[in-house]
Order: sequence, then structure tokens, then C-alpha cells
Amino acid sequence: MNINLKDALKYLLLAAVLIYPLFSFANEYFLHVMVLIMVYMVLAMGLNIVPGFCGLLDLGYVGFYGIGAYTAGLLTIHFGLSFWVIVPLAALNGAIWGILLGAPTLRLTGDYFAIVTFGFSELVVLFLTNEIWLTRGPLGLPGIDPVIIDFSWFSTLINPEWDWYWEFIGPQPYFYLGLFMVALVYVIMGRMEDSRLGRAWFAIREDSIAASSCGINLLTYKVIGFAISAAIGAVAGAFLARWTMFLSPDMFKFWESFLILCMVVLGGLGNFKGSLVGAAILIALGEVLRIILPALNLPTETRFLAYGLIMVLMMRFRPMGFFPSIATQSQKNPILIKLKKELGSS
Amino acid sequence: MFEQQLINGLTLGMIYALIAVGYTMVYGVIQLINFAHGEIFMLAAFLAVTFITVFGLPIYIVIIMTMGCCALIGVLLDIFAYRPLRQSPRLAALITAIGMSIFLQNLAMIIWGSRPKPFVQSALPPFLRTTALTVGDASISWLQLFIFGIASLLMIILFLIINKTRVGTAMRALSQNRTSAALMGINVNRVISFTFALGSSMGAVAGIMVAIYYNTLYPTMGYVAGVKAFAAAVLGGIGSVPGAMIGGIVLGIAEALGAGYISSLYRDGIAYAVMIAVIIFRPSGILGKSTLEKV
Amino acid sequence: MNILDIVGINMRFGGLMALADISFNVVKGEILGLIGPNGAGKSTMFNCISGVLKPTSGDMLFETGNRKIRINGYKPEKMTYLGVARTFQNVRLFSALTVLDNVRIGRHCRTRSNFFGAVLRTRSQKEEEQRIVDESINWLKFVGLDKFAFLTAGGLSYGFQRKLEIARSLATDPSLLLLDEPAAGMNPKETKSLVELIHSISDLGITVILIEHDMKLVMGICKRLVVLDHGVMIAQGGPRAIRENPKVIEAYLGRGAADA
Repeated sequence: MNINLKDALKYLLLAAVLIYPLFSFANEYFLHVMVLIMVYMVLAMGLNIVPGFCGLLDLGYVGFYGIGAYTAGLLTIHFGLSFWVIVPLAALNGAIWGILLGAPTLRLTGDYFAIVTFGFSELVVLFLTNEIWLTRGPLGLPGIDPVIIDFSWFSTLINPEWDWYWEFIGPQPYFYLGLFMVALVYVIMGRMEDSRLGRAWFAIREDSIAASSCGINLLTYKVIGFAISAAIGAVAGAFLARWTMFLSPDMFKFWESFLILCMVVLGGLGNFKGSLVGAAILIALGEVLRIILPALNLPTETRFLAYGLIMVLMMRFRPMGFFPSIATQSQKNPILIKLKKELGSS
Repeated sequence: MFEQQLINGLTLGMIYALIAVGYTMVYGVIQLINFAHGEIFMLAAFLAVTFITVFGLPIYIVIIMTMGCCALIGVLLDIFAYRPLRQSPRLAALITAIGMSIFLQNLAMIIWGSRPKPFVQSALPPFLRTTALTVGDASISWLQLFIFGIASLLMIILFLIINKTRVGTAMRALSQNRTSAALMGINVNRVISFTFALGSSMGAVAGIMVAIYYNTLYPTMGYVAGVKAFAAAVLGGIGSVPGAMIGGIVLGIAEALGAGYISSLYRDGIAYAVMIAVIIFRPSGILGKSTLEKV
Repeated sequence: MNILDIVGINMRFGGLMALADISFNVVKGEILGLIGPNGAGKSTMFNCISGVLKPTSGDMLFETGNRKIRINGYKPEKMTYLGVARTFQNVRLFSALTVLDNVRIGRHCRTRSNFFGAVLRTRSQKEEEQRIVDESINWLKFVGLDKFAFLTAGGLSYGFQRKLEIARSLATDPSLLLLDEPAAGMNPKETKSLVELIHSISDLGITVILIEHDMKLVMGICKRLVVLDHGVMIAQGGPRAIRENPKVIEAYLGRGAADA
């Protein structure tokens, strides 16, 4: 094993981030921002499938985020379901809406798709605002239970004294749960990218006519991509619901979609690792601007000026994002490493 | 009630049509949804109010000045944001368009503040608010007549430019095939700039009309109006100028009637629903034609 | 034994008759040349056979698994699955991907792992991935591009890009291969190795239909030719007969040329 300095630093940093919340000096606000970054990391990775892998602009990603959040919130409030049951249900609901929206519209050119997704997410917000009987409308949905880990049914069987029941209070447990969620989505993204599925998406992005001549059913694979992306968005929404314990339609306006898209563009279209960096940078930037802008007597919404500018400049000067070098997962694929060696030696 | 909704819808529809032609013409020549078009509409309202309050100019001069300024903004938008990306994948241009839209919107917010402002009523002739004529239970104000008149006039001018002038012929040639048009000696970039100027000045008039009609202007007004106008363009058949006009009017009426008879809460939703339905069931729109990709 | 029967195909675009009553057969194992001046309808014919376009009327019968089926209106991906592969007049590669990935995507229609296989990395998925790589590299060796496997496809020279496109189409395991002007833009050396490549493809038992403007190349490779002009089939037969056919000479050189 030779670990060079760069790797060593990387792991040291990772370890520091991992144990930071355990220290007593850990700052609540700072931890809160870190959890927020993790939510957006998941969203940015999930969104990247559509514009990055398939080459289609999705302007309504926040719609699925909202669907996941309200699915989780309502299921918690009305049925008291456990978080661990809700996450797959929210993902499923996101995927179903993805299929319902994608199947009829993904046959068309990308421009139409972009505008349809936009309209869809606006309709989601209108629905959440106006269907008061279900969502309480603009008042929002308060009183959602936090995440609970409950093994008391098991522990009391062994020893009546034991009560294995933990309710998530404060940012620390959410920090680790968020980290777990990011890691899980990261692994799924990496494995999808380096597979028959991922190659089919890339083929569609590069040249759809050539892709269909390779036997790829364009509609099927675009719908699969859109549905998986929607499901990931919904998972992030479910996490948000149980973390903030309050939802309102305002949290799912178009600006959110734009912000997530900006993270994807900054990190590089089709580069899901870059999306992690994009999410961290833009959330951090947002927090800084939230302090600076009022000092300049400007409304905090004007931070989107910076996001808009970032997107325009990135497309002009760095269309592959800032980190094109970390783009391909397949460099780690053992089959390809072996092949490279064989080709090199012959 | 019905007649009144119809008249209100028609007024709204004329305005949508004015914005929609801008989307459809730009789409025709460079196959790009110019998301920032809605922002030009918004900027027009603010510029008009600024010209009135700062220079104290009469409204007719202000309209013409604003048209000129917005035409210039449209051209600059194309030159700085879109032109460098002509050879890039369409996704890049589309993302740039959405980025520019957000940029301009927030720029307006920084310059003029985020709170809604009323239009400067003193600049308008007072008779505009009075009723011009009544048909049954419905009344039409002079303002509505004014909007019909000006929108119809602009549509006729636009029709003449597109069908009777050299540059209009060049625009149509470009929307058929850019490469061949360039080979025929058409200065492609100049024609594209002209298209942006034309579309933006139409949008500018619409912006001023909306600000006067609703007596309010705010930096995010271009966002909803822009999407609705785009829906109108899609409804009429994207790329088709008469289609955009018809689409705008149909959508305006559908929205007014829908808000009156179905639910006013989903007023904006009607435009989105119409748009999604058209895209799913008849993507070529009312007057559009489907195109084949050459292999 | 025919692998493909074209029977009375018409293709109309609005008022334009791009193909008018075209009928010909393709014999299993042959290399058939499809020639004609620009705008004759050759690529349109390919687009019909490969499923990109649906002919207005007529029949296309394709033999697969000892059965003749009517393939009018089948989607391109379905045609690939049935065993028709093609290349394009202007090369269509996945330019940002590696040479190997281009060929691996060609294996798509013959493999089946899905989302769950990819995420769970099941044993069958891993084995399939290994097989895809092995087969892809074999096809790259076949066209002589294996040493470029990890380069970006868009960075290859034009001649190599053409060959890569052929390798990708071969990776779909076709029984019928449609080559659309494979020699266009190639230098004489590249053209020579292309001819060898086409012969070795034919040796694998794959039927080839070739659109080509380079007459010397077509006459050299093909035992049989079909000539189109303005959407009409004006001749078919062996190279010598075609070369001497007055209609063909007229189509290429203009009216009066045959008499001169």
C-alpha cells in the first residue's frame, strides 16, 4: 500500500467531518447547514441523471422533491408510519409520477420536455397550495414526527428493562442519517453509470438516432432515467419532511429546481461526483449571501442573480463543469483495468 | 357574465399573443426556447415607468422608446449569451437561456426593488378607464379597446414584415434551413439579431399593456406571463407566427372562462394544463407542422 | 435464398416521391451494391429497411429464424434486434465516449441486465459485463482498433471513426449489414483496408448492402448491383451489365451521354 499525501489528506478530512458532530464544540447552525448540503447533494445527484446522463433539461425537479416530502409528511401524520417504510413508499410515488409524466412527453424533443416539467412542478405547487383538505394549503403541514428508530418490540422480548427506542433530536443524528443517504445514492449512481443502463443513457445523450440503431429503445430508457431521478428526489423530500418536521408549498417553488440545476451545471453535467461539490459550494454561498445581502440593503432573493450568472458563465466557458477529471466511474471497473493491462502488455 | 369573461379573456389573449410571437420567431430561426423573453416583457414595464417618472415623457413616446430599448436588450442578449453557443449542444443554450432569465429578473429586483409598484396613472389619459361601450351585461373599457387596437396593429405590421420584406423572407428561409440560407448569401447573424429585436419590441408593448391593465408591475411578472405565452406559442404550433397569435387568444379566453367557471385558484394552472395536454396529444399545435430529422 | 425481399416500396414525403415502386431481392451472403446519383433515394431506402422511416406502401420481407416477416413500420431498435445493423452517411458515433464504450453500447440489444442488476451487482450482471467487454474487444480487433479502446471516439481520425461505426454495428450480431457510403472521405490506403474489411465481414456469413459513390470500389466488391435514380429503380445486375446499361450512363452523365 502506498498512500500518497493527497489521499492521506482526503481521508483525514473525511474522518474529521465524520467525527465533528460528536464534539461538544460542534456548532448547531454549522451542523444544520451540513445536513442541508447533504439534502441538496442527493437532489443534485438525482437530477444529474436527466440532463447529465440523458441530455434532457428537467426544469421541474422540485415537483418530485415536493411529492416525496408531502407523501412522507402525510403518511407520518395520518398513519404514523415509520421512516423506514415511508422512504421506499415516497420513492415509489415519485417514480410513478415520473413515469406518468415521462411516458407521454419523452417521445418529443428536449425543448418540449423542459417546458412540460416546468409546468408540472408549477401544478404540484398549485395543488399543494389549493387542496387545503389534504395539505392545509399555505398554512403548511406542521407536527410531522422526527425520525424514530424503534426496536423496543425486540428488546423487551429479551429483557423487559431494555427499551431500544431512539427519537432523533437535534442535528447530530440527522447528520449521520443524511450521510448514509448521500452514500447510498452515491453508490447507486456509480453503479448505474457503469452499467448497461448507464451506457444506454449516454448513448441517447450523444446521438439518439445512433442509439436506437444499437437497439436501445429511446422512450423506455428515458422514462427509466426520469423515474429513477424522480424517485431519488422524492427520497430527499421524505428526509426533509422528517428532518424539518414542517412542510409548506413555498418550499417547492421553481427557484429550488433552478438552484439544483445550477449545482449540477457547476459540478458538471453527467458528473455525479461533481454534483456533490456543486451542492456544497452553492449552499455555502447561499448562506454567505444571506448574511451579506441584507447588509447591502438588498432582498435575500437577489442571491439568484449570482446563480443565474454562474449558469451562463459555466455553459460558456466550462460546459463540462469544474471537475471533468473525476467524471467516469468506469475507471475503477476491475474488468476494464484488467483489459487495459492486457492491451498495454501486448 | 359569460360575455364579460370572453372580453376579458380576449384582452388577455391579445397580450399573450404579442409575447408569444417573440418566442415563436426566435424558436423558428435558432430552435431555442428563449426563456429570457418573459424578462424582456418585465423590463419593458419598469423601463416605461422609469421614463415617465424620470423624464416626464408622454405615454406614446414612452412606448416607442421602450420598444427601442427592449429591442436592443434582445439583440445584446443574443450576441452575448446565445451566439457563442450556436455550435454547442442544445442543452447548453437552453440552460443559458434559463440562467439569463433568472439573472435579468434579479437584476431588476436589485434596481427597482422586489415590491409590486402601481403604474403611473397620471401619465395615462383619464378616459382609458371609462367604459367605451356595453354589450348586454358586459362592458368594454377604452383601455381594452386600446389594447385590441394596438395589438392588432402590431400583428398586421409583423405580418407585413415577415411576408413582404426582404428580411422577413430571410427569416423564413432561416427557419427552413440555416445552412442553405447561409449558402444563399443571407447574413445569418444579422437576421437572427433582427428577429430578437422584432420579438423583443413586441414583448415590450405587451409588458407596458399588462402593467397598465392590471395597474401593477413587479420583477417576477415576466416569469408567469412568459410561461403562459410560451404555452400559447406551443398551442398554436411553435415556429408558426399566425399560430402564436391564435394560440394566445385561445389561451387567454380559456383562462378567463376557466377561472370564471371552474376555479379561480387554478387560474395559472389552466395554462400549464393546456400546454401539457397539447404537447402530449398534438405536439405540432394548431398550425404547426411536424418535422423530420435528417439521417 | 433471399434474406430480404423488397416488393413495390413507395415512399412519399408530402408531394415528393422519394421512392417509387422499388422491388429487388437480397440474396443471403452476398454483397449487394446500391448505387445512383445524389438524391436517388439510396439513403431513404436504407432508412426504410432499418426502421427509421415507414414506407408509404409496399412490402419488405425479412428472413429471420427461418421465417419471413413483414418489417414495414418496425422501429429501428426492433430491426436491430431482428438482425439488421447499419452505419450512417455522416458518421454517427457517441463522440464523447470511449471507443470501447461505443462498441459496448452496440452489444445492448444482445444483453439484458437491468437497473436491479446494475445496482446489486449480481453475479449474472458481472458475468455479462465481462462478456460484453470480451466481445467488444474482439470486434475492435476485427476492425483493427483495439489499441485505441480507451481513447475518446471523437478524437479518432475520420477513417477510424468509420471503422468504429462498423465495429459498433457488427457488435449487434447482424445478419444483414447496411453500409452507407463507408468510403466517403477516406484516402486510398484507408479505402483499400476498408475493402478488405468488407470482404472479411462477408466471410463471416453476414449479408452486406453497400451504398457507395466510389464506382471502382463498388464494381470491385459487389457481384450484383441495384441502381436508383430519382426514386426509381433503373437497373439491376452484374457490374459489367450495369456499366454498359445506357439508362445508368444517362443517369450519371446526363441525357445524350449514352449515345455519344
